[in-house]
Amino acid sequence: MTKEKLIINTIENDKRTSTQSLMQEIWDAINEGCTDFEIKACGQHNIGGSVWSKDGKDLNFYLTNPGQRVGAMGAKGTNIYVEGSAPADTGWLNSGAKIVVNGDSGDTTGHCAASGKIYIGGNVGTRSGALMKKDPKFEAPELWVLGSTGSFSFEFMGGGIAVICGLGCENMPSVLGDRACVGMVGGIVYVRGSIRNLSDDVFLLDLDENDREFLKTGLKTYLSEIHKEEYYDKLCSFNQESNTFTPPWHKIVAKTYEERQKQNNISLKTFRVNKWMEEVGGSIFSDLITDDFKSHDLVQTGDARLRKPSWKNYAYSAPCEYNCPIKIPTQKRFSMLRNGKIKEALELVLEYSPFPASVCGQVCPNLCLNNCSRGSFDEPLDVKMLGTLSKDIKAKPIEITKKEKIAIIGSGVAGLSAAWQLTRKGYEVEIFEADDKIGGKLSQVIPEERLHKEILETELNRFNDTGVNIHTSTKVTPQLFSEIENNFDAVIIAIGGHNPVVIPFEGYERLIKGLNFLKDAKNGKKYDLGKKVVVIGAGNAAMDVITEVYKQGGVEEVTAIDIKEPSAFEKEIETAKKLGAKIMYPCFTQKITEEGVYLKDGRFIEADSVIISVGDRPIFDFLNKEYLDEKSKIQINEFMQTQNPKVFVIGDAIKPGLFTNAIADGKHVSDNVIKFLNNETLTPFKEKELIPSKRIKSEYYECYNSNCDNEQNRCMSCGYCRDCGLCKQSCPQNAISRIEKEDGKFEYVSDPNKCIGCGICAGLCPCGIWEIAWE
Amino acid sequence: MTTVNINSISKDDLPWIIEYDSEKCMLCGHCVASCSFDAIKVDVQKRKKVRAISNEEGFQIDEDQKAIPVIRQVIDAKNFCRGCGICTKVCPNGAIKVSRNRTEIFGTRYRAKTSESVKRGGRSNLHTEGRTLDKIKVGRISQMTDPSLDALRHTFDLRTNLGRVVSPENLDFDIENGELKEKQNQNLPVNTSIYPILFSDMSIGALSPRMWEAIAIATAYLNEVKNIPIRMATGEGGVPDKLLRSKYLKYMILQIASGHFGWNRIINSMPYMQEDPAGILIKIGQGAKPGDGGLLMAEKNVKLIQEIRGVPKADLLSPPNHQGLYSIEESVQKMFLSMNCAFKFKVPVAIKVAASSTSVSVYNNLLRDPYNIVGGFFIDGLQGGTGAAHEISLNHTGHPIVSKLRDCYLAAVHQGKQGQIPIFAGGGIGMNGNLAADTFKMICLGASGVFIGKLILQIAGCVGNDFGKCNGCNTGRCPIGITTQNPKLMQRLDVDRVAENIVNYICATDIELKKLLAPVGNSTLPIGRSDALVCVDRNVSERLKIQYVC
Repeated sequence: MTKEKLIINTIENDKRTSTQSLMQEIWDAINEGCTDFEIKACGQHNIGGSVWSKDGKDLNFYLTNPGQRVGAMGAKGTNIYVEGSAPADTGWLNSGAKIVVNGDSGDTTGHCAASGKIYIGGNVGTRSGALMKKDPKFEAPELWVLGSTGSFSFEFMGGGIAVICGLGCENMPSVLGDRACVGMVGGIVYVRGSIRNLSDDVFLLDLDENDREFLKTGLKTYLSEIHKEEYYDKLCSFNQESNTFTPPWHKIVAKTYEERQKQNNISLKTFRVNKWMEEVGGSIFSDLITDDFKSHDLVQTGDARLRKPSWKNYAYSAPCEYNCPIKIPTQKRFSMLRNGKIKEALELVLEYSPFPASVCGQVCPNLCLNNCSRGSFDEPLDVKMLGTLSKDIKAKPIEITKKEKIAIIGSGVAGLSAAWQLTRKGYEVEIFEADDKIGGKLSQVIPEERLHKEILETELNRFNDTGVNIHTSTKVTPQLFSEIENNFDAVIIAIGGHNPVVIPFEGYERLIKGLNFLKDAKNGKKYDLGKKVVVIGAGNAAMDVITEVYKQGGVEEVTAIDIKEPSAFEKEIETAKKLGAKIMYPCFTQKITEEGVYLKDGRFIEADSVIISVGDRPIFDFLNKEYLDEKSKIQINEFMQTQNPKVFVIGDAIKPGLFTNAIADGKHVSDNVIKFLNNETLTPFKEKELIPSKRIKSEYYECYNSNCDNEQNRCMSCGYCRDCGLCKQSCPQNAISRIEKEDGKFEYVSDPNKCIGCGICAGLCPCGIWEIAWE
Repeated sequence: MTTVNINSISKDDLPWIIEYDSEKCMLCGHCVASCSFDAIKVDVQKRKKVRAISNEEGFQIDEDQKAIPVIRQVIDAKNFCRGCGICTKVCPNGAIKVSRNRTEIFGTRYRAKTSESVKRGGRSNLHTEGRTLDKIKVGRISQMTDPSLDALRHTFDLRTNLGRVVSPENLDFDIENGELKEKQNQNLPVNTSIYPILFSDMSIGALSPRMWEAIAIATAYLNEVKNIPIRMATGEGGVPDKLLRSKYLKYMILQIASGHFGWNRIINSMPYMQEDPAGILIKIGQGAKPGDGGLLMAEKNVKLIQEIRGVPKADLLSPPNHQGLYSIEESVQKMFLSMNCAFKFKVPVAIKVAASSTSVSVYNNLLRDPYNIVGGFFIDGLQGGTGAAHEISLNHTGHPIVSKLRDCYLAAVHQGKQGQIPIFAGGGIGMNGNLAADTFKMICLGASGVFIGKLILQIAGCVGNDFGKCNGCNTGRCPIGITTQNPKLMQRLDVDRVAENIVNYICATDIELKKLLAPVGNSTLPIGRSDALVCVDRNVSERLKIQYVC
């Protein structure tokens, strides 16, 4: 017998029916066709959940005092009416049931509801509506609440509609409690009243016409289900003026996926400019440095480059020029030769020295070549050849343009060098020479083996051709000197060293003075030296002595002795040794006898003659004491100027040196003499820095040895641009251009707007002209 | 002919080898233009080939000689490749790269050549054992015992305390309308709620003005836009007047170290301050070079630095200790009291020392603090970084931070005074890339917070690492523009991007911190909650008194 309505009282005889028994009873009844259930429950769980009739008829439950999860997993066709309140989880996972609760409902009401309708006539607890979702295959779930919700409601909501009417909650700070809608991704929550601390995942919007229509319609049904139709007007009171309900209804919708990705925060740059700099007044460092805050890439042009190149042509001395006392720019001469300017190249040297053939080409030890860059690669260049080539170059005719007159005492290379420079500058020069010929030691003492007579004569003639007034055989006496002092505007003392030094050993009177010996030998005087000769001293002059000793003939054994390592140049020593001479050191002479030389260590060297050649002192017998110090040496300042400002001293008269030192003195002093004559401040001679050797790139050249025909091509042009154009060609930025100047000179320039400061120009430059440096 | 002297430094002595492929190179010059260490140069290489070509008459000799432009490594004790890799970055053809020379003994060569100690920046490069923090896991997960939290969606309060906390028995209350109210005029010490991660004290001078300002901007942004109350310690290199007089001063912890650099300007700015600073940090020592003072090489001591610090151009060496301090008691009296007085007892005053065998004694002594003026104890371990130090200090002096923090915390627990003087720990925090993990573990071990320095630089783009890469901070030639005073190198740094990177990193760390808080079920910082940690190394677990697991 089928009953349409089953009434169940779950407490009978003080005995409570368990959830399982109640369920069993309901299921059995449904199977028998029962559709309506009136249950006086006693906290049994899950009533009305997951039940359905076989024939698709609605199932209706009328409940009082139910337990948790009323209608949980409720199916479509189930209608549940709860008289009074229900505890937690009402409508959990609702999948189609209609659940009406007249009173309040507990926590997590409607949790995970996916379809169906839940009408609550009071408030709901925390996390209600959490994880509601909408399956497109079914009708969307709805949750209606007359009052408020607990905190954290609608967390992770994915779909469906919730309506929170906020009735009686008008003074609550939030009808949704705290932190509602966290993680909400879909669905709509309509809410009437204040809300606090809503999640960032949603927007709070005003209602539109569709929303209002939905509420007007929906509220009717809802309020009638919970029997509270009387509130309809209150909930739907519509303010014409503000176009809203009062108190306002709002709609909460989740942000879309795209909206969620968007950073709503202001950008760092905007913050810096509008907040930071506004408050601080620029950058915090703006009163200390200027900074535009622009950021630069790693590779930059212009001022932002780390390094800048510069074309420093001839800013450094080449080793040849640097090591030459006269600073003859040999690299420049070879450059001219490369460019076919042969005459200019051969003439150029005459600006520096009147004796290119005699000195550079013959007697000079050529310090210039000692450090020739080519020397560490294959062989140094042949400069002797270059000097000799200038032998027949004529001097410029001179023209006296200046009124001042200069006297030069001595016509050795120092004096002639000074005279040469001064006449070229238009000064009238007079030379006073004690000997009957000019040229000093070049003429008087250098053996012809070392200096061809013809070459020297040619160059002395070239000097004579300048027409300088030379008084030969005129020894300067104190009287003459004071006349000269009075009659000339400046005086240059260039008397050389002609007083051979003699050391007072026992038997010193037996010594032959080297200088005298050389002078005599050059004049053709013969000495009878015997078979064994000892030369005391092993400097360059001593080597010349040895050469002349052998020339005298009949000599079998020549020994040069010195107290220290010989100061003569390697080449001179080699020449002496080739002739057969022995060189011994350290040897300290004790005495000289008829037999020979006794040394302090007891050794004895047999000798028929002993020649001393340990240096020559100047003879200042024409000067009064004020010019000299207590050792009878001339007193000069850094400008080679004596205590009488118009009197200068140069060359061996100061201290013994090379011919090139003397020529250099003559050249340097002439500059200061001119300054003196013009009342200008005298300046010390400034020499250019030597170019660092690693800047010269020998990698470009092939090893091959000296060959007179193309020495100019072997020259690596240290620090002197050879105009090869490699920099221009290699510059990756095309920044380098070659500028031709009016005077025929040229210049390479790097455009800062193109250049990145890579230094390829500097790295590749064969001559080391380009320099790359941090600013 | 080039000569090679067996005693001079050669390429295989150098720590990094430039690998260059002249076939690929088109000589665009980018590598040499961008190398800030002058470690590569353009040069010419001679190539010569003599070949015999067979022919009917036997053979014919053919010679081919050319000079090829190349990029060459500079071999020099001063300008040597530090492996920063900028050349590789800018090379369009992949023709140049750097590789670590594993067999070098450059340190030996350098000392033999120069008779100088080796100096550099960065952290210790000597790794003798695994990293303690990596052996510790967050192993106490709330499952079914108690609810874990949702890291992304739940609310957490990550703030910690800077400032002296007075023990409850020393607090006086009134009851007003049934509620407890603090009694007025108790002169209670100041307390501030701040983020548990601090931007550590790197000076203007060690850092370029741009880098320093970028950190300051990031700090302000995190506070004002992201609501992350992070604080920045200024370091001892002076503070710009403009910052001192701006409202952003409230995020800055001013440092005073042994050199007292820049304090003249700070004192003179006091009448114009709109806000109090966030704190004062008295620096006694630093973990990277304990027992040594600040070191700013003359290369970096440019006009701006000279002005702001009030010194001439020179290598700037701060004394290893404060000249007027001889004991802990004196430090407390002079430094803490003076700093509290200077800021009217409204600003927490903390102290920073290098971790040492003696740290617990120092902390115990500070804990007495009868005047309630000690606002924090910062300990810096040996993995800390620096802009310049003697390598011997970096590699061979110092104390690991983890057990030191633990010892100090447990010493306070022993007295029932934990939390009264908050401990902040630093020195290699986040060096393995994860700041949140390290921070969380340190907090569980008892730290109230941590401080980071070198990590910020790496976030900003520093290419250096702890395996000999770059570490040229001391040279002033930082290729990124971070630790340089050269305006051109500094201009490589994009202030906004650097600040953004820092902000992003901290925001990510914030999420990750919550990812650790959530599973242990804490919504506030678990300071001292060592039950959350387990350790896979028995020795470590015994030493730190945390659970051993395997």
